[in-house]
Amino acid sequence: MIGHRLANLAILGLAAAICYGMQTSKPHYADLTGPIPVRGGMGDDVKARLFQLRVDKVEFAKILAVSEFGKDRTLTTGGIWAIVTVELAATNSTTTVSEATWQGPTGLGYRETERLAMVSGLPPFTVEPGLPARGRFVFEVPPSEISGATLLVSNERAFALDSQARITLDGLRLKPDGTPEMVADIYDMDEPIQ
Amino acid sequence: MFASMRSRVRAWITIGAGTVAAILAANLLGAFGALPEPEIPVFAAGQEIETGQWRVTPLRAFVTDQRIYDAPIREGQKALVLEVEMTNRTAASTTDYFTLFKHGLPVGEESETPFVMLTRDPSMTPELHPAMKERVAFVWALPESATSPGEIPFSVNTKTYKPIDNLYGVPGWYNEQELGRLVIPVSEASG
Repeated sequence: MIGHRLANLAILGLAAAICYGMQTSKPHYADLTGPIPVRGGMGDDVKARLFQLRVDKVEFAKILAVSEFGKDRTLTTGGIWAIVTVELAATNSTTTVSEATWQGPTGLGYRETERLAMVSGLPPFTVEPGLPARGRFVFEVPPSEISGATLLVSNERAFALDSQARITLDGLRLKPDGTPEMVADIYDMDEPIQ
Repeated sequence: MFASMRSRVRAWITIGAGTVAAILAANLLGAFGALPEPEIPVFAAGQEIETGQWRVTPLRAFVTDQRIYDAPIREGQKALVLEVEMTNRTAASTTDYFTLFKHGLPVGEESETPFVMLTRDPSMTPELHPAMKERVAFVWALPESATSPGEIPFSVNTKTYKPIDNLYGVPGWYNEQELGRLVIPVSEASG
């Protein structure tokens, strides 16, 4: 009688332990539907589901010069401006690439700046298949977040079950302390993209 | 054996329900009213405040009828401006600061949500990036008739980080509550 009861209790405990284990080890919804990474380096053609992206160069500047509505403006920042020039192509239908994040070596995410309102050559980029286009992503980053950074590019800000290009920024020319070798005083956003 | 088990369970439930009922009744009758309320901290200008998502230092506050930092204040309105320095403590760029400060003035609903302007160059609703300190102005529209009492109490609010929310299982900041009060002199001047 006692042995029977102990066996029942053991089975109950085991069932509870299995249920708890399954609950804690279950992947979260956000992980299941999160971005599907497509990795590459600078200069590689990185193929996401709807677009293809190549990072050509990364430049740094202390001040951005823009003309908006015919007025000249200069924009300063608490860190430095990072300007990423990319070549984009659509895979098989017209698509819009609008979201980019500069991810620092420790995982801090710096979204592309929204302070430049009416400047051409900035996202969102609409690209057609067979007609590659060039564009710039502009970020404000602290100097300490440059060495070992990754560029994350996707079609939209919020998405599920879609790919995200993750480009390791491995071709930057940096000083030994991790800050860029070349920081321009002024970067003119009105110059054509090269 | 099972009969004695059942009567024991029934006794436990009765005792538990009785205790809960007694505590509820005592609460209704005001037995806990004598407990001291937790004191709300009071912050001053120039003091660094840590509010979960932000590290913020209030600098100055003023009321002006001039156009300030290009905030879209209409004619016939005044602007209540609170200038702060703030740093994003989270790992991602965000604009989640509209309820960080609430002023305690008895004016209409339209002035409850502030315009948030970057003072560096007047961009509205600037995204603040991780670990980058920025000077920001919170601008509330006030009716022209509003008088400045010399000192305006602001409540400073904070949110709690949840690694997994109950709906989508994503991390985020929820459950806003008051962290403390900011008492700052408000000058009647154009900045």
